[in-house]
Amino acid sequence: MWETVAQAVINGLLIGGIYALVSIGVTLIFGVVKIVNFAQGEFVMIGMYISFFLANQFGIDPLVSLLVTMPVLFVIGVLIQHFLIRRVLGPNDMPQIFLTFALSLLLLNLALMLFTANYRTVHTSYSDEAFHLGELYIPEAKLIAFVVAMALSGALWVFLHFTDLGKAMRAASQNRDVATLMGINPNRVFCVALGIALALAGAAGSLLMPFYSAYPFVGQVFVLMAFVAVVLGTLGNVIGALIASLMMGVAESLGIQYIGADSGLIVVFAMLLLTLAFKPTGLGGGRAR
Amino acid sequence: MRKDRQGSVSNKAGLDRVLSKRQGRREFLLKTGGILAASAFGAVPMRGWAADPVNIGALYPTTGSMAQIGVGCVAAAKLAVEMVNDAGGIKSLGGAKLNLILSDVQSDTTVTRTETDRLITGNKLSAIHGCFASALTLIASEVAERAKMPLLTGSSSDQLNKGRTYTFTPFARASQFALAQLRMSRLVSDKPKVAVIFENTAFGTSTSNGLREQAAAEGVEIVLFEPYSAGFTDASPLINKVKSSGANALFSVSYLNDLILIVRTVKQVGLNIAINGGSGGFVIPDFYKNVGKLAEGLQGVAHWNHDMDANAEKVNAEYKKRTGEFLFEYAGGLVAQTFMIADALERAASTDPQKVRDAIASLDVSSGYAAMCPGSKVKFGPDGKNIHAHPVGVQWQNGDLASVFPEEDKRAPLMKT
Repeated sequence: MWETVAQAVINGLLIGGIYALVSIGVTLIFGVVKIVNFAQGEFVMIGMYISFFLANQFGIDPLVSLLVTMPVLFVIGVLIQHFLIRRVLGPNDMPQIFLTFALSLLLLNLALMLFTANYRTVHTSYSDEAFHLGELYIPEAKLIAFVVAMALSGALWVFLHFTDLGKAMRAASQNRDVATLMGINPNRVFCVALGIALALAGAAGSLLMPFYSAYPFVGQVFVLMAFVAVVLGTLGNVIGALIASLMMGVAESLGIQYIGADSGLIVVFAMLLLTLAFKPTGLGGGRAR
Repeated sequence: MRKDRQGSVSNKAGLDRVLSKRQGRREFLLKTGGILAASAFGAVPMRGWAADPVNIGALYPTTGSMAQIGVGCVAAAKLAVEMVNDAGGIKSLGGAKLNLILSDVQSDTTVTRTETDRLITGNKLSAIHGCFASALTLIASEVAERAKMPLLTGSSSDQLNKGRTYTFTPFARASQFALAQLRMSRLVSDKPKVAVIFENTAFGTSTSNGLREQAAAEGVEIVLFEPYSAGFTDASPLINKVKSSGANALFSVSYLNDLILIVRTVKQVGLNIAINGGSGGFVIPDFYKNVGKLAEGLQGVAHWNHDMDANAEKVNAEYKKRTGEFLFEYAGGLVAQTFMIADALERAASTDPQKVRDAIASLDVSSGYAAMCPGSKVKFGPDGKNIHAHPVGVQWQNGDLASVFPEEDKRAPLMKT
């Protein structure tokens, strides 16, 4: 009995780590730039395809291709902020929503055109293996993904708290006008925020590749969970998003185990509604990180 | 013509008005002259020596989430039409060639409704085949019924045989798949304890209900019966449930992506269980490409397999040459369907959909490409079901699908896993 529960919790935590990478990106962009990036899932998809092609053409392990996907997506993030988002940052929200939503549709359909709707998988030596602890098992690929995801989240936290640029980002997210008055260049900070957020999405893509298939719609699966996690963990709160993602992974897994495999999401959304009913600002208590 | 009109509009807006007027006049003369000439010498006598082609509609998703199967279907549909035409077309219609009109239903139910409607109203069709996915085919069939347009489909949903007059299903039904799957489980164990997991769609629900209803009569115990929402991120919780159920066989009614996750997870858990992947995403080349040697020995059921007879092997060889992959059940089945339509056209000696429908209803073949199905006989009952249809049990062996069940369709011995 306890093994079943423990196994469900392990499964939930492991997939929650991936949700976390996506949701931290969304919440970081929202916290700093104050826009909702609807295209975040599509950047996970791009990360997956980069990893897939590197593995397929050059035999590079998806974990090694992390070193390619993260910088590439960082640059894409900077370019998107500099050439697109910067131009719609104003008092009106609608152009920003349209921009990121259009970006999502564009990338999705480009991927369909270029890569077709086929599922692409990468087979690594650890894809189908697992560590066994008595009755319990921990899939190797997921464990690696979880550990790297947590390490990246930790690195981001250190960056935000202990570097000048990180502090500038937090300052810009707390009060953009005052930060500007203190000599912080908002566009530079926003560029870095977008870059980091997209690099995390790319990392999620590379980490997913050993155990999940790449296809043009793959981002949509993860971005839904990411948005819930972002709201649950208080908009703009990185630690909140991380904790919420892990909770959601566990809730989904337990839901599948004890309610039904087609109702895992019911538990997740019930958790979201209950949290919002008692703590309307989310688990983070309304503090942006 | 629209292009010409656009051209003249832009000319008018151009700098040289005189020139444009002269061009317009010349264009007019050319066009009217052309039309006159065409009607006087071209179109009318042409009918005398080359029969008008017969339009066949094909509805398949070549974009969207179901595209990987849809694209293969289109390749097979084209191949089938070429085969009919190369063999001399429809002789009773003066050697008329089949003309395939393709329509992409985009893996989407709403699009399927409008595309089917557009295909039927926009073209003079004689029959349609499509769409492979049950959810899409059910809708296409509704539209076709209303437009009184015969539709042949390999889709297995039993609902397609309820209250329809223009829908014909030459291959095994979901309920029959279930029976075959249950009987196959006895190949693995004398006391089969089966866990059934299925996606909560029309395809998954109808197939799994068939399994549940017939299990007891077949002496098979179902220890877990679990729907899941297609497109999950993680199969572990589901496999966790399978493990705690104590099953010795696993029936998974899923499309490709979910099935890959399920098979991999079973391996990770170290669960020793015989997997029967059913049909759908399990019996297509992509499955092997994605799962690799983990797929070896896995069992499934199909309404068609390429090792059935010499004709099927011949089509398979040609399809392989073109696409690099073996002819999977749905694509192979629709080649047979095209020949069934050709046979009906031949006997109807008419392109009128109503007459073609009646000719399909009275189809009775037991040889040739039209009879390319397990059992090699096609004859439709009043509900549009092929009364001889039954599925074949298949197993992945060396990257190919081999027919292993039932005895009369067996082409290779069952590989022990």
